[in-house]
Amino acid sequence: MNENTSNPPSVEIFHAKSEGNGFFSWVATVDHKRIGILYLLTAFFFFGVGGLEALVMRLQLAKPNNHLLSPDAYDQLFTMHGTTMIFLVVMPTLIGFSNYFVPLMIGARDMAFPRLNAMGFWFFPFGGLLLHFSLLAGGAPSVGWFSYAPLSETPFASSPGVDYWILALLALGIGSISTSINLIATVLALRAPGMSIRRLPLFVWMVFVNSFLLILALPALNAAIIMLFIDRQLNAHFFLPAQGGSALLWQHFFWTFGHPEVYIMILPAFGIISEVIPVFSRKHIFGYEFVAASTVAIALLSFGVWAHQMFTVGLGQPMDIFFAATSMLIAVPTGVKVFNWSATLWGGSIHLTTSMLFAVAFLLQFTLGGLSGITFAVVPIDWQVHDTYYVVAHFHYVLFGGSLFGVFAGIYYWFPKMTGRLLSESMGKLHFWLTVIGFNMAFFVQHFLGLMGMTRRVYTYPDFPGWGFLNMISTVGAFILGFSVLVLVWNMAVSLRRGTPAGDNPWNAWTLEWAASSPPAEHNFDQLPPIYGRRPLWDLAHPEQPDEPGSIRDKIDGNRTDKNKAGMMSFIVSEAFFFIMLLIAYVFYNFSQHPAPGTQLLNPLKTGIFTFCLLASSFTYWRAEKRMEARNQTAFFGWLAATLVLGGVFLGGQALEYWGLFQKGLRAGTNLFSASFFMVTGLHGLHVLIGLIGLLIVLWMALAGDFKKGNRGVIQMVGLYWHFVDVVWIAVFTTIYLVGARS
Amino acid sequence: MTTRELLLTTWNWNPFWIAVCVLGLLAYGWIFGWKLQAKSVYFFLGLILLFLSLASPIDFLARGYLFSAHMLQHLLLVLIVPPLLLLGLPDPGNKFRLPEGIAPWVKHPLIGWLSGVGAMWFWHIPAVCDAATSIEAVHTLQTFSLLMMGTLFWRLIVGPRMEERLSPMAGIPYLVSACVACSLLGIWITFTAVSVCPVFMNPMDRMEILPMIRDSWGLTPAADQQIGGLLMWVPACLVYLGAVLVLLVRFYRHPAKTEKKHAS
Repeated sequence: MNENTSNPPSVEIFHAKSEGNGFFSWVATVDHKRIGILYLLTAFFFFGVGGLEALVMRLQLAKPNNHLLSPDAYDQLFTMHGTTMIFLVVMPTLIGFSNYFVPLMIGARDMAFPRLNAMGFWFFPFGGLLLHFSLLAGGAPSVGWFSYAPLSETPFASSPGVDYWILALLALGIGSISTSINLIATVLALRAPGMSIRRLPLFVWMVFVNSFLLILALPALNAAIIMLFIDRQLNAHFFLPAQGGSALLWQHFFWTFGHPEVYIMILPAFGIISEVIPVFSRKHIFGYEFVAASTVAIALLSFGVWAHQMFTVGLGQPMDIFFAATSMLIAVPTGVKVFNWSATLWGGSIHLTTSMLFAVAFLLQFTLGGLSGITFAVVPIDWQVHDTYYVVAHFHYVLFGGSLFGVFAGIYYWFPKMTGRLLSESMGKLHFWLTVIGFNMAFFVQHFLGLMGMTRRVYTYPDFPGWGFLNMISTVGAFILGFSVLVLVWNMAVSLRRGTPAGDNPWNAWTLEWAASSPPAEHNFDQLPPIYGRRPLWDLAHPEQPDEPGSIRDKIDGNRTDKNKAGMMSFIVSEAFFFIMLLIAYVFYNFSQHPAPGTQLLNPLKTGIFTFCLLASSFTYWRAEKRMEARNQTAFFGWLAATLVLGGVFLGGQALEYWGLFQKGLRAGTNLFSASFFMVTGLHGLHVLIGLIGLLIVLWMALAGDFKKGNRGVIQMVGLYWHFVDVVWIAVFTTIYLVGARS
Repeated sequence: MTTRELLLTTWNWNPFWIAVCVLGLLAYGWIFGWKLQAKSVYFFLGLILLFLSLASPIDFLARGYLFSAHMLQHLLLVLIVPPLLLLGLPDPGNKFRLPEGIAPWVKHPLIGWLSGVGAMWFWHIPAVCDAATSIEAVHTLQTFSLLMMGTLFWRLIVGPRMEERLSPMAGIPYLVSACVACSLLGIWITFTAVSVCPVFMNPMDRMEILPMIRDSWGLTPAADQQIGGLLMWVPACLVYLGAVLVLLVRFYRHPAKTEKKHAS
């Protein structure tokens, strides 16, 4: 072994002894590459489903006053189409690529938590099934992918479609959050020697930033859909204005998630483009630092622009002005990226492979979608075009013309790595041109239709001059687009069997995944090349002109976080955001009057005593940890037992309080106070219960003697979680019992 | 009174603050040997903004007329003036070290974070906010505490001692979490029906300009509070975001230094 090469950071290997190739080996796999492929295949299947739904809708819209579909069927179709494409296609596809390539690109053996990775994946197909099961259980949801309340409430949507939608989104959300935590821990903990943060391939960097966006944005959706579920199942009325609830809060919560979601769906695609364009221009990416930093700016700004989805609600002029400003501002970092990609092309030796063609088309179409996006920041324009086909055209230019074109570029770029065979370029070009023509035919005309006033989400339209013609163009385009997907399938099927063998590095690319064999071995790398810069394979091939002359690995290697700590901390951050959303809801419903009606039923003193128990349990656990460090087993068991008892007493106290409130006739559906009180304290109680289970696992491991071998990470991680649950309770207790109930 | 007259005549030439600014300038010159450096521009800019926020009509309106003007003053004093002043200071080396006893306390990032966020939350407790608006002594105390707390917060990001700054990878969560904490308060102020600072509901109209504010500027008490909340929510967060970008620039510019420090 050369002294400069290194072994990939080791991961505890959970893999079955031999993975084999049978059906069960795929079901049981914990290999990040197989899981990545499973993600991609499942997402591709749902892409077919969502695409067919779109084609049926386009058939209905092909001519004016058409009655192919009933209004309700049409509503179900556009709801399912939107939900499918967002949650079951774009997100999992990008997660699939991340799963496959992030460990390879940073020179790791696998993801940080392979079994968690498998769990995250399996939530996805089952979430998809749950969503589609609604078809058998009384009809798909028909309230749009945003499920605006009160339309999505029982009085207006009485079939269980929305309930399945909620459960599916919860399942998918859990999967996405666990995969994001896994990706964060992988990037922080498992980078190969020499792969410092500032040398990360841009795809990895964007996936990394995107994972933070996911763990911060999804809790807002989860909070909102849990509230909707409580409304629907327990007869509360969080979002029912007729009973004092607020439909507006649903919109705020939904778009707090929904706008970052837009960037969640585009950032990894940006990452793919940032890999493809330099490789096929045979140049460095122009302004690596700017591309990387602007990603962070986009991620942070994306949380500050959601209200632009709600200009038509009537939020008042001050709100409109501030959010118009931020919405325009977010165009700046996005524009920086477009500028950098264009500058990378400039003067490059451009190889127009299919992958590159998709990347260039991405650049043009995404820019168009971005520009029409900025027009919405102008409030009066937004008022005019809101809920018209102009909006439909805009977000399809971003999500299809942008995200999916990025995905196609990624497929052509990475297919050889994943399978060992190149996709056919001639069929690829056919696919490309059909896609570009079909896509632009289908969606460009919708700008005009929208400006002429054609409203979206309505199953048909009157025969106004030009409308039928433009819609027919759109429908024909959609079918060309559908056909182009078949070309891609055919190309993949044929190339898989008879494609030109790719070799390890068919594109002469520079990032680490191309140092592995194609397809990579189960353990990814036998040996890693030395990493002295952002393009290790370039440095390897051109030792005379390295990217970072004179760079020595040891000096700028950076540190590696402990993967357990990275994972647990990101989980805690995500949970903290979830509780922040719940507390915001509590404050929203109960703080407009002081003290809030209903809070006189609470007994702050009694709950204060149980609060003391919970806080004391944090102390006892801390002592237990210290005792374990001092290798004092007996004292450790003592303190741990005390922690368990104190935690149990707290839960007992909560049960007692609930019982008392039930006795007084309070139910979740009684009023807004009871609903929000039971929701916040109940979900916190659930977390205490999970913490107790964690403590029991620690106890069990201690009894089995696991900690004698020195593997004490578990004690620390469970401790972090337990302290976190206590801190949340301090916030809950302060909000509900101290500030909210003070008389 | 017209808007123009208001902007021209309501300057507050309080000798105390003029003295503070002049003394600050003299102290700066004396300590650093009367040598102008490029970074002195930051310090001067900081002093000018300090003076403007305390002497210009912002201060006049903030004293009971407009909550949004109060918020502008508040944010300038916590978020803009301290980092500018800090950026203007050269590394003092071994001079001006804190006494050993309190240094670890003052230097802890948690203290910095709590000061920065506490400055936002504490002074917007309704009773406290009222007192600071209507009682001169409390107002002065508030001004000083805002500057102090802002300094404690920002010294970890832009302080003159390089070795005391947080590494970029630690600084980003520090700033982002502060932005979240500050946004939550801003969101509350924007949307709540409760008056955060009841004094501004019915101002004592000492200059008879209330009709102008309400009618020609169109600022009802509710809209006024909404603008105040939005100022804290949106532009304040952009300041933190800007600082995050500065940290990223530093991170990419001085890789060896920043990463090594992070590792230690």
